[in-house]
Amino acid sequence: MSEERQETEHIVRMQDVVKTYRQGKVDVHAVNKVSLAIENGDFAALCGPSGSGKTSILNLIGGLDVPTSGSVWVDGIDLSTLDNTELSEVRKNRIGFVFQAYNLIPVLTAYENAEFVMNLQGLSDAECRERVMATLKSVGLEGLEHRRPDEMSGGQQQRVAIARAIVTNPAIVLADEPTANVDSHTAESLLDLMQQLNRDQGITFLFSTHDQHVIDRAKRIIQVHDGKIVTDESLN
Amino acid sequence: MNLNSLAWRNIWRRKRRTLITAFSIGFGVMLSVTFTGSGDYTYTNMIDMGASMGMGHVTVEPVGYHLKPTLDKRLTDTEKLHKQIIALPGVSAATVRITGQAMFASARKSIGGAFIAVDPAFETQENNLLLRSIVEGLLFSSRSGRGIVIGSRLAKKLHVRIGKKIVYTTTDADGEIVSDIARITGIFTTGIDMVDGIMALLPIGSVQKTLSYAPDEATVIAVVIKDQRHAEMMRDRVAALPEAKDVAVLTWKKAQPDLAGVIAFDKAGNYISQFLVGLLIAVGILNTMLMSVLERTREFGVMMAVGMSPKVLFRLVMVESFWLAIVGLILGIIITAPWYYFLYHFGIDFSGSFGNDFSYGGVLVDPVFKARLFKESIMAILGSLFILALLAGLYPAWRAGRVPPVESLKTI
Repeated sequence: MSEERQETEHIVRMQDVVKTYRQGKVDVHAVNKVSLAIENGDFAALCGPSGSGKTSILNLIGGLDVPTSGSVWVDGIDLSTLDNTELSEVRKNRIGFVFQAYNLIPVLTAYENAEFVMNLQGLSDAECRERVMATLKSVGLEGLEHRRPDEMSGGQQQRVAIARAIVTNPAIVLADEPTANVDSHTAESLLDLMQQLNRDQGITFLFSTHDQHVIDRAKRIIQVHDGKIVTDESLN
Repeated sequence: MNLNSLAWRNIWRRKRRTLITAFSIGFGVMLSVTFTGSGDYTYTNMIDMGASMGMGHVTVEPVGYHLKPTLDKRLTDTEKLHKQIIALPGVSAATVRITGQAMFASARKSIGGAFIAVDPAFETQENNLLLRSIVEGLLFSSRSGRGIVIGSRLAKKLHVRIGKKIVYTTTDADGEIVSDIARITGIFTTGIDMVDGIMALLPIGSVQKTLSYAPDEATVIAVVIKDQRHAEMMRDRVAALPEAKDVAVLTWKKAQPDLAGVIAFDKAGNYISQFLVGLLIAVGILNTMLMSVLERTREFGVMMAVGMSPKVLFRLVMVESFWLAIVGLILGIIITAPWYYFLYHFGIDFSGSFGNDFSYGGVLVDPVFKARLFKESIMAILGSLFILALLAGLYPAWRAGRVPPVESLKTI
């Protein structure tokens, strides 16, 4: 993998990033000249209305999409220099994803879903077991390891998704509307969990959200509108 | 959770669809076994029957005899060569014979025909179709007597029966017209009109005298082997014998080109049928795998998002095809086994439709539809269906890894 390391403390850095989609005959600037840096230990929320570009920014940081112009560095690696396989490596080793719709693999149990990325990393069963069990315990799923997604509530499924995202100890967890599919009580408990993981384990979280519960908990709020960052406010 | 286990679970997400596809593979096994098994059985029967009609699976003859079978061409010192051939592994019988054209005449009629002069001491029912088809009387007992066994249609045309005399006239080694008299000791009915209408068996000693041949001279050594598939190998072995320097050694394909042509043509038809069956099965598997991939586009997007590379995703879908093929083949074996047992031991009797004397390619064909699979055929069927299933999985697998994760995640 060609790793163009950057001399910085930033986990994520975006420099003049533009993402343009073609919709029919019209160019839509989903992300428009965005420059952003996410610090280690951040608990940041990308806020804004639907279609403002939050998810596009998250996808670009996660290496799921490539910018039309500009550069994205994750953990010091310039993603623009990587091919698909190398991007997969970055996602596998340095990024955790939490999706709105949980997106667990339905044929796998909670344990196996959490273990999935570690398997991709080629770790031994013994290594996986210890880490996965500890992670499941930390997200409050002790005793539910053998349940499949369809045997769990939405909140429990999202906890499994969080476990899957953090089990490999990634540089950053990207959470796209993580509380959008659960009730407010469950949303609070999920946020408690993520806040605790951020506080106790120093895991960096970047959310895309328009949920006030999330915004209220964030240490940093980045307002996005029409593909541009309009405000970036730390609340420490 | 390794890729194998994940793929195994994935194929059982939609049990009914997987089972239908697996059954289509299984049905393919059944059809292939039926087609190939009947081919293996019928072709072997035809070839063995053709071999027992005079020339064997491997024929040793004078150079050029095959193209112009005149009696001036002859093998000499056949006794030594015969002994060497008999000693070869894989040979079940070797018989020295003289084959030729003759005119058969009774008191009432003359008919053109052909004869095979044989030594009764070496002829058995297994290696001589005419002998095992005797329906009246017996084979002459002496190689130098005046016996003759003729076909039933020839007997009818000549208006003769057992005990009656007939005269056969032919040309000798010097091209002179010669004739001798023989008394009918037996009548055969093979069911093949042409054979029953023109063929006769004569004692080789008498024919040698008539043709002015030395006692160890003949036109043919017919070699019958245990497995007809080894005819080429046996031809090479015989040709390498020290006594086989100045002779031609042919397989049944050269000695009986009509039969070889019929079998080759029939085989081609069989292969085309099987190819079409295979194609249908492949389309079924392709459809299943493609549906399975398309409905999991989002899931694949998630897998790629968390770090699965397109190559590993390709492998996952290919492993799913692998498991589908394995399940299909196992099902195929289960449903085919009783069917094959039935075809092997009993078969389907078509004698009501075709009669008992249905001939094809100049040989009699068993009217009972049976199947006998060679080991290689079993491997070929299972192997080719397995490969077919994997090939059918290639496109869906390629497609799975091709959609960018960001696009996959947008799908519902």
